[in-house]
Amino acid sequence: MTEIIIPPIDWRVAAQLSIIFGWASVLLVIALFVPRSRTRIIGYLAIVGVIVAAVAGIPLWGVNAETFSGMLRLDAYSLTLNWLFLASTAITIALSLDYLPRQGIERSEYYVLVLFATGGMMLLAQGADLIILFLGLELLSIVLYVLTGFAYPRIASEEAGMKYLLIGAFAGGFVVFGIALLYGATGSMNLRAIGETLARQALTPEERTYLLAGAALVVVGFGYKVAMAPFHMWAPDVYEGAPTPVTGLLSVGSKAAGFASLLRFLVEALAGEWQIWAPVLAALAIATLAVGNIGALTQQNVKRMLAYSSIGHAGYILFGVIAAGATDGVAGQRGVESVLLYLIAYTFTNLGAFGVLIALEQRGEAAWDMGDLAGLWNRRPWLAIAMAVCMLSLAGIPPTGGFWGKLYVFTAAWLAGMGWITVIGVIIAAVAAFYYLRIVAQMFMAEPAREAPLPMDRALRVGLTLATLGVLILGFIPTPAIDLVQRVVLGVRG
Amino acid sequence: MNTLITVLFLIFAAIILASAIMTVTVKNIVHAALWLISSFFGVGALYLLMEAEFLGVAQVLIYVGAVSILILFAIMLTRDLEGSQNRQLTPRWWIALIVPAALFSLLIVPTVMTHAWQLPPPPPAGQPPAISGAQQIGAAFMREYLLPFEVAAILLTVAMIGAIVVAFEERERRRRVLTLAEQVRLRQRQQQRQQPAPRPEPAATAVQPSEATGSET
Repeated sequence: MTEIIIPPIDWRVAAQLSIIFGWASVLLVIALFVPRSRTRIIGYLAIVGVIVAAVAGIPLWGVNAETFSGMLRLDAYSLTLNWLFLASTAITIALSLDYLPRQGIERSEYYVLVLFATGGMMLLAQGADLIILFLGLELLSIVLYVLTGFAYPRIASEEAGMKYLLIGAFAGGFVVFGIALLYGATGSMNLRAIGETLARQALTPEERTYLLAGAALVVVGFGYKVAMAPFHMWAPDVYEGAPTPVTGLLSVGSKAAGFASLLRFLVEALAGEWQIWAPVLAALAIATLAVGNIGALTQQNVKRMLAYSSIGHAGYILFGVIAAGATDGVAGQRGVESVLLYLIAYTFTNLGAFGVLIALEQRGEAAWDMGDLAGLWNRRPWLAIAMAVCMLSLAGIPPTGGFWGKLYVFTAAWLAGMGWITVIGVIIAAVAAFYYLRIVAQMFMAEPAREAPLPMDRALRVGLTLATLGVLILGFIPTPAIDLVQRVVLGVRG
Repeated sequence: MNTLITVLFLIFAAIILASAIMTVTVKNIVHAALWLISSFFGVGALYLLMEAEFLGVAQVLIYVGAVSILILFAIMLTRDLEGSQNRQLTPRWWIALIVPAALFSLLIVPTVMTHAWQLPPPPPAGQPPAISGAQQIGAAFMREYLLPFEVAAILLTVAMIGAIVVAFEERERRRRVLTLAEQVRLRQRQQQRQQPAPRPEPAATAVQPSEATGSET
């Protein structure tokens, strides 16, 4: 009987992950002893865990290490993203604290599942091995299927959960098959090892075919996750059916996590094939922009409009992803920075926008129609201001966070020599401003259509304020955030 | 010996293929599940043929023993599923045929044409292959693949929590969603009981009962 020796583990790398997963499991047990009327406590405790995990990350800044046989990596890139995930989780939970009891769906498992989803996102940001990326993707997806169907009194929620499950399982199959082909072509599943194999030896034509086919399948799988065209068709229905805080988490956390691993995969493993994947992704980015923004233009339903707009934003982030792989070092670095900056700005903005929808939503009725926002300025001035800030940020108008994000992705794409997609992107952004400003006009100029009471809870107010302030601070004082992302180096340039 | 193995392989492969085809073509869904079990058995036998005993046993235990029984339970507990009038093919079945066929041929064509995949070299004769027995699998999970092992554990836990959340939703609460008016009255009653509260909720006081009844439809 041989003794099994577990290899030493660098706990700094896994610290944040362990806190989140451990705390989620502990909360599951604590929830047993909390009476049903006080389920809220679990929500507060979940936020505490998130804050602890975020603080635990501060001394880890500057660490560049990997552990678990090189499968898990902590660098400035993943740490920044982890903070972003934690922030979006905290805001989501704050927004849910009031929403869940109001909809009659408050259960302690909700908060636990949100924490598990955060852990899955962190795995996607930190994973340096295709196995971990796949497991993280599945973990995140399974939690999100359940959360999407969480509003069980509404049939639409169940339907959305089912749709998401079927599409997600389909996408997961693509990823696995792609990983198999990549392994067959390069003999490794570690991202860096794949990149080194490509740099070191010339592949035979067949191997190159398998490599590209595998990479394409993996990109398709992640394309479903981040809702880029033509893999976006699930997004509007699922976003509309899901409980609104979950929609917020879906549109920011899950998208950011998908892009985090997609970027690492493309830059670390496939930088050598940039000439091939850049034009393909550029075409997809343009298609995504077109589908998302044209779809959003025609919507009367604000929640659905935000779903289409979030498809459109995936297109802008793709610009940054394309630039990040550029062989030119300056453009590549600017690409990584732009993706992170865009994700930060977009996360706060979208959470704020969904927060306003949550504040408007009453039990048993949806307040997602454009008319429900009419005259909001007279009824609830602060709510109207928060929504206006978020809409301006989504449209990319200064002085909001969204402006800097757009500026960065456009300059990155320009530097990478993709002048034509930059021009198209700017034109589409100008068109998109129309439907965002239409909402602002509704709120400030139209007469109130109805005098519905708007109960607001302290947690909801805090969550909404945090998100809106985040957008404004990012807009007026962008230097700290830009400083932060400029320290992030990804791939072989490091 | 080698001929025997080849013959056995061909028999098992034929069983797997035939069962798989029957699974997707028979009209009766219970029969389809039974054909699926037969296909699982064939795969288990193939594992044994490849000297991966542990995988073979696990295949029989988990897939034949547990998964297929669950499938049968799910079929029998679901109403309106056994109708034989259900359509088998969608109008665009040929697309569904072409895509998997293309993906499959991507793998099988080079293998048949003896393309050398970049795989780890086989172990020298006499030694067991890298991952075959329970011992090697266990050691690999504890050393090299510790993280995937742990993450898979979390994944299964989460899946179980999710299944419980979905399945054990409280039925009586599902039907009984408080209307807005009831909720306002409830909140007012709670506030009266809690008086003197330091600061009443501004939103709740803004609502008059008459208004609330009006908005309830």
